[in-house]
Amino acid sequence: MIGPSIVIKGTVSGDEDLLVQGRVEGSIDLGAHEVSVGQSGRVTADINANVVKIDGEVTGDISGNEKVVISKSGNVRGNIVAPRVTLEDGAIFKGSIDMDPGETVANKVSLASARSAEGPAEDLAGTPLGQKSG
Amino acid sequence: MIETQSSQLLPALFTHFDPQQRLYVLHLGPAMPETVDFFSGYRCKLFFVDLFTELPLVAEEGGPDLVQQFQGLLDFPEGTQFDICLCWDLLNFLDALAISALQEVLLPFLHRQSRIHCFAVHNPRVRPADRTYAIRQQNEFVVRERVEELPGYTGYGQGQLKDLLSGFKFERTVLRSDKRLEMLLNIKS
Repeated sequence: MIGPSIVIKGTVSGDEDLLVQGRVEGSIDLGAHEVSVGQSGRVTADINANVVKIDGEVTGDISGNEKVVISKSGNVRGNIVAPRVTLEDGAIFKGSIDMDPGETVANKVSLASARSAEGPAEDLAGTPLGQKSG
Repeated sequence: MIETQSSQLLPALFTHFDPQQRLYVLHLGPAMPETVDFFSGYRCKLFFVDLFTELPLVAEEGGPDLVQQFQGLLDFPEGTQFDICLCWDLLNFLDALAISALQEVLLPFLHRQSRIHCFAVHNPRVRPADRTYAIRQQNEFVVRERVEELPGYTGYGQGQLKDLLSGFKFERTVLRSDKRLEMLLNIKS
């Protein structure tokens, strides 16, 4: 943990989760782990992690391999790239959010429509499965 | 107070786009949780620029003109083209000069299939409550009353906005129960 009185200028990297309650200027790179910016955290840095949770202030770009969550006390100015982003009511965000969830809702709707249009499955004789021919 | 309202025009924002394509959305208002959650189901890039926090947008003597102000506020990467632009009721808080400047700065970021969603008012002399808006579903949005009154209310009817937004075509208009006019615009070819 980076405590409330600690100020770090530079690159923070490592192989474990991190909680920031102080100030960080530079960059934070914990690609496979979780970075949390606590309510007293003040980060002026780009953040790269698996999961990023923000309760404090962040100015910089954020990359979350799994997700990014900005809580109601969070204040973020920057660009976010993540498959999923959650913003709680009261959170402040200015910038862009780039999302690619994989199988999108739009794709799911499109696939469901295509399947229903095809009709029920049939056997080689053209008889709907579950029904007897003749 | 949080209220859910249906919309006949929101679905039309999405009908022109291939579900496989990546959507570029410009949201000219505060980032709201429902909107982020809604677009989480799409392959998309959302740009949130809360112009309401910049109100009143006026040109002061000796300072940057309105076009320069909007250029600074709407500073997007080169080549950015928005498929959807959500203005909500922003236009009712801009004077004629500001609307003209906004149009000038915004048009280069739009293309022929772009759709713009905004509100006007049925009776400009009756000020409706100041609100924030979010999209919950394709045909539904979430409305919250603002705590503080926004500065610079002007209020435009459809005819006035048509005159001011000369670069846009008004595709559809719906009169809502709260006396707002919900409008769908696209750019003139």
